[in-house]
Amino acid sequence: MRAPAARHGPTLLDDERWLGRLLLAPAILYIVLLVGFPFAIGLYYSVSDATVGTRTLHFVGLDNFRLALENATFWQSLRNAVVFTLVSQAFVVVLGKILAMALYRDFRGKWLVRFLILLPWVAPISLGSIGWLWIFDPVYSIINWMARGLGLLAPNAWPIWLGQPDLAMASVIMVNVWRLLPLATVIILGGLCSIPQDIHDAAAMDGAGFWRHLFLINIPLVMPIMLVALLFGIVFTFTDMIVIYVLTRGGPYDTTQVIASLAFFTGIQGGDLAGGAAIALFLFPVLVAVAILFLTLARRAEVT
Amino acid sequence: MATKMPARERRTPIQDSSDGVSRRRFIEAAGAIGAAAALSPFIMPRRASAAAKTLKILQWNHFVPGYDKWFDGTYVKEWGAKNDTEVIVDHVGIPALATRAAAEVSAQQGHDLFMFLSPPPAYEEQVIDHREIYDECIRKHGKPVDLAVRSTFNPKTKKYFAFSDSYVPDPVNYRKDLWDDVGMTPSTWDDIRVGGRKIKEKHNIPVGVGLSAELDTAMAVRALLFSFGGSEQDEQGNIVLNSKNTLEAVKFARALYQEAMTPQVMAWDASSNNRAMLAGQVSLALNAISITREGENKNIPGTDNIWLAKAAAGPVRRIGLEHVMDCYVIWKFAANIEGAKKFLIDYIDNFHTGFMASEFYNFPCFAATVPDLQQQIAKDSKARPADKYKVLGDVLDWATNVGYPGYANAAIDEIFNTWVINTMFAKAASGADTPENAIKEAEAQCKRIVQKWRAKGLV
Repeated sequence: MRAPAARHGPTLLDDERWLGRLLLAPAILYIVLLVGFPFAIGLYYSVSDATVGTRTLHFVGLDNFRLALENATFWQSLRNAVVFTLVSQAFVVVLGKILAMALYRDFRGKWLVRFLILLPWVAPISLGSIGWLWIFDPVYSIINWMARGLGLLAPNAWPIWLGQPDLAMASVIMVNVWRLLPLATVIILGGLCSIPQDIHDAAAMDGAGFWRHLFLINIPLVMPIMLVALLFGIVFTFTDMIVIYVLTRGGPYDTTQVIASLAFFTGIQGGDLAGGAAIALFLFPVLVAVAILFLTLARRAEVT
Repeated sequence: MATKMPARERRTPIQDSSDGVSRRRFIEAAGAIGAAAALSPFIMPRRASAAAKTLKILQWNHFVPGYDKWFDGTYVKEWGAKNDTEVIVDHVGIPALATRAAAEVSAQQGHDLFMFLSPPPAYEEQVIDHREIYDECIRKHGKPVDLAVRSTFNPKTKKYFAFSDSYVPDPVNYRKDLWDDVGMTPSTWDDIRVGGRKIKEKHNIPVGVGLSAELDTAMAVRALLFSFGGSEQDEQGNIVLNSKNTLEAVKFARALYQEAMTPQVMAWDASSNNRAMLAGQVSLALNAISITREGENKNIPGTDNIWLAKAAAGPVRRIGLEHVMDCYVIWKFAANIEGAKKFLIDYIDNFHTGFMASEFYNFPCFAATVPDLQQQIAKDSKARPADKYKVLGDVLDWATNVGYPGYANAAIDEIFNTWVINTMFAKAASGADTPENAIKEAEAQCKRIVQKWRAKGLV
């Protein structure tokens, strides 16, 4: 027979208010330490003469921003980042919606399909990108060998996926879509599942077909959550450099260079931490504006 | 219409449960486990090390695996036993070197010896003056090669910001069967263009000189630039890129690309030319001897047909780069500075074994440490023909440093690592920009970079 548990007096853990604060604390600490602190350091570096090899910093005002703006590569990287982000996200949203609708229905082996679709998201980005590097390899590209085997390539045609500017941009976009599609699919699927069944039943009773159902019920009701998925996608894509770094390192001749990769090459490889920080900070106002816009749109699109 | 519950009523009351785990107990237990896990490194007794001292070394994964086997498995163990030191060697891939160095400096801790593959002048303030190590090695083995000094000495601050034990030659690798077939040898850049075009027309196999954002391209395009009389800087460190000679070099690169190459060279990474050459997909590449060594060690068919030649001659001179410049640094914050110095000095004493373990990949910066170098490379047991590597015998007559004709410095390092010159050549070669514009833009970038580092007092 177990002895009755000893009674404790009320402690802070019994107080809902304090318990809430306690449970939130790790998240806040995490954000402050891993986001807030580096951001503050970035701000500090961007107005200093910091290099990878200096500990004593001097204030240089906005010189680093001026140097970045005078650099033609910076403007090309900004244009590339916008194209990379917008085209990727257009594909992610459309394909994510299609996949989510397919996964919404019941069918045999649904768990396996869901597992396979989620795989690119849970696998390390660098590992997946290295796999793609081999898929796009100029000599061993499996795409080219298969296309040649199937007779889809002319005898002397051999696309160099990462060596021709348009193909290189298409390749990095393809990999980015592959990587972000699972997240968007899961988010949209969550939105679809939250639509009450009686709305679908009522629409079916009214004789709504697939397209009417899609455009008048599914999309409007899922729109707020789709906008959140889009916001995540834009932030992840605009700030990402791993896909570019592994596949093209910004090449051929800077045609896939984006702001994040340029900041890395300047700050870490080139040793100019201050210059790299200034370039990276250009991402901040753009992303703040995008976040405000999308969260406002999402709120307005909410169906109550 | 949904009825909202008052906030107070929606809360779940906390109850102590005698037959289950209460929330409070769960949180207390989880907190205790978390705290114990966090503190365990400080309170758990650490296994005592048998050696009195520790020396931590970080270096790359050598292209010749046998070298790492010898270095980690034999040399450092013997050295550690003799010097009562536990030597820990960590290896990383080439791309991780820059990030690891930046992280160690930022944290002010890490390895006692850190090896870069190119001169690291940007870290000058963070490293000891390596003069003492050079002096001791000079006393024992005579003067180092000029290449080593120009890669590790800052003439402005008079400080040795690194110590170079070895360099790696960067010869021309070519398919002898294909070049014989067109009756040519790639001795000059013009030979490469003309012979390469003939081979491409006849066998559909292009020349493979990189035009990408990577190390091998950075070396190859500089070899071309210098051989045409152009350079990024002059001896005093002034930017002189926009010159008639540079224009000729860039125009030549465009002709070479259009006549004898394919866009694959725009997509290459540092090992792509190895793969392409061993797969028989290119007729010529500029690389260290890693191509032939890999072919020999893995018995790859066709390796015997890959021969080596001196750096190609341009209209002004025959010149090439070192392919890799081993540069060890000792951080000021290193825990075992004296041990690191001694390790380097002893390593140079034993460099002959290192040269053999690297299968002639690493050439000595102190030439006297390998007095039989000419004989060794003239008769190699793996090479077919056995004297394949003999051509490297006069490498110092045609190899130079990054930053030629001046010294490697922080600005040159940033220009090198942000691929400014690679991009200039690639843009013009592909026709994306005119040679004149590509040079003008590259020079503007170089000047901006130099201006920055000059303001920091390192150039």
